[in-house]
Amino acid sequence: MDGEDEFAVFTSNLIKKLGNFIAVNNLNLKVKRGEIYGLLGPNGAGKTTTIKLLCNLTKPNGGKGHLLGKKFSDNTIASNIGYMPQETALYDGLTVYQNILFFGEVYGLSSKKIRNRSDELLKFINLEKWRDELVENLSGGMKHRLSLACTLIHEPKLLFLDEPTVGVDPELKMSFWNYFYKLKSMNTTILITTHYMEEAHHCDRVGFMKDGGLITEGSPTELLHQTNTDSLEDAFIKFSLGR
Amino acid sequence: MNFKRAFAVTKRVFKNVKNDKRTLGLMLFAPILVMLVFGVAFSGDISDVNVIIVNNDQGLETPNGTISLSKDIISNLNTTVMTMRYMDNEKSAITLVENGEEYAVIIFPKNFTTNAYSGFNNSQKSSNTYITLKGDDTIPNIKNTIQGDIISGITTTMEDKGVKSSVSLLDEPIYGKDAKFIDFFVPGVMAFAAFLLTTLLTLLTFVSEKTSGTLERLLSTPISESEIVTGYAIAFGIIGTIQAGFLLTIAILIFDIMVIGNVLLAFLVVALLAIVSQALGILLSSLAKKESQAIQFIPFIILPTFLLSGIFWPIQAIPSWIRPFSYLIPPTYAVNAARNVFLKGWGLDKIWPDVMILIIFAAIFLILAVLYLKKRTD
Repeated sequence: MDGEDEFAVFTSNLIKKLGNFIAVNNLNLKVKRGEIYGLLGPNGAGKTTTIKLLCNLTKPNGGKGHLLGKKFSDNTIASNIGYMPQETALYDGLTVYQNILFFGEVYGLSSKKIRNRSDELLKFINLEKWRDELVENLSGGMKHRLSLACTLIHEPKLLFLDEPTVGVDPELKMSFWNYFYKLKSMNTTILITTHYMEEAHHCDRVGFMKDGGLITEGSPTELLHQTNTDSLEDAFIKFSLGR
Repeated sequence: MNFKRAFAVTKRVFKNVKNDKRTLGLMLFAPILVMLVFGVAFSGDISDVNVIIVNNDQGLETPNGTISLSKDIISNLNTTVMTMRYMDNEKSAITLVENGEEYAVIIFPKNFTTNAYSGFNNSQKSSNTYITLKGDDTIPNIKNTIQGDIISGITTTMEDKGVKSSVSLLDEPIYGKDAKFIDFFVPGVMAFAAFLLTTLLTLLTFVSEKTSGTLERLLSTPISESEIVTGYAIAFGIIGTIQAGFLLTIAILIFDIMVIGNVLLAFLVVALLAIVSQALGILLSSLAKKESQAIQFIPFIILPTFLLSGIFWPIQAIPSWIRPFSYLIPPTYAVNAARNVFLKGWGLDKIWPDVMILIIFAAIFLILAVLYLKKRTD
């Protein structure tokens, strides 16, 4: 054992090639249980591919990984993880509630549980009035909120959120983060990708990704201190250029 | 009009096509396929129809030996149209037709030659100089071709031999008495509609699942690949059956088609075909990254089915070298089974080979669809 049990996410020399392009290059990622970990990096750094590997949506070309102490190819962990893709990934032909209901059923929740959870989530994402509206009639921001609700329906222990705040207005963005803190207080682990450096301050730890690998990681304060900068954007540039 | 700007659009379209190798391939290949399949399928005449000859004719003794008009007529039948074999027992021969193993029995009566010649000698028409055709009349093209060929054989022989007596052809259908073309056509259209609509619907739905990201989201949940495919199979099986129900209702109410067998059994066949089709749709979706590419598959789904599966004209009318392809297309079996239920009143005891093949197709396609989803293509 290399301490896989201790971490919610543990990868060792993870590699993913897309054609001739190495999207994830010997990635060693360790996310502690109950922490909010931010993967930061420019577009094409390998953040989304990393999440897809961890969610068993694509097969790695090398390396290994564990989620909540089990290999990430183990199907039994699927019920404990929640994945919010970058795209809204909803059924446009279904209503808001029908989407939540469908994903609740897929996770094997009882009807009563789905009803209770959907009431709670609809209130949180502020779509109660739109409950019976077709998704195709919603705005981009509304779809994003619903996408998050579908990810949270089964109260996962480990959350993968791929750019969850893109297209979300500042007020709602704040309520998202408040909700993430609430989930953290319930010992939920969150791995979040973003290219908004200012958002990374909300994370317990952040990892800077470039060319498929981690160039450094630490708490936002540590990273600012190490680079003697005021913003994580400047810190990223310094690390990226080899300080 | 600024042609420079217009040409910029033209160039952009060509660059798009050039960069999309799949579209480029389909653009070149689709017209070739259309021409070949249409050309080949339409160029064929009915051939290789299995027919049994029961020749009870004893011939006519003459000073120059025994003469047999029946043998002369048989020798004048077109061996390309009919693949003939001989039997003595009429009942056994008819049983083979009833079981669908042979298409028709041509029966010459005992005194055929004698009656034909006596009719001539007495200068009167002999009412019992006849050849009986007992066959499957459910496919009008085949019935008409066989009848035409026998009549042509009779005429040629009579002219050659200088016999002026009238020989008639008695048509006593075993199946399909009074069957019209619409009766032949409807079971095929039912199967065709279910196959086409289900394949396309699943193909487009699945490509949309990929492009919208819902498939990825779904695959990250505890649902297994086989559960996804099974869910789709049940849904499209039901949709296919409902579509078949609508088609049949219209066919009965408006066109008054012949339904001898159990309609529910025909529905079962169509539902089975819908399950095969949805699995095929999922498989085809692996070849398309977006809806616009999926739409280009339409000719490849429609044409072979339309032309080769026996919906509009029998497989016996397709050139023999291309006929094996007919047996690689699932609708061929559904069309055959549905037609046999409707027009011949066959039950599961007789249509089981077609049903079995459809089940095998369904199993193979469903397994391949699950494997495709498990592959987790990038």
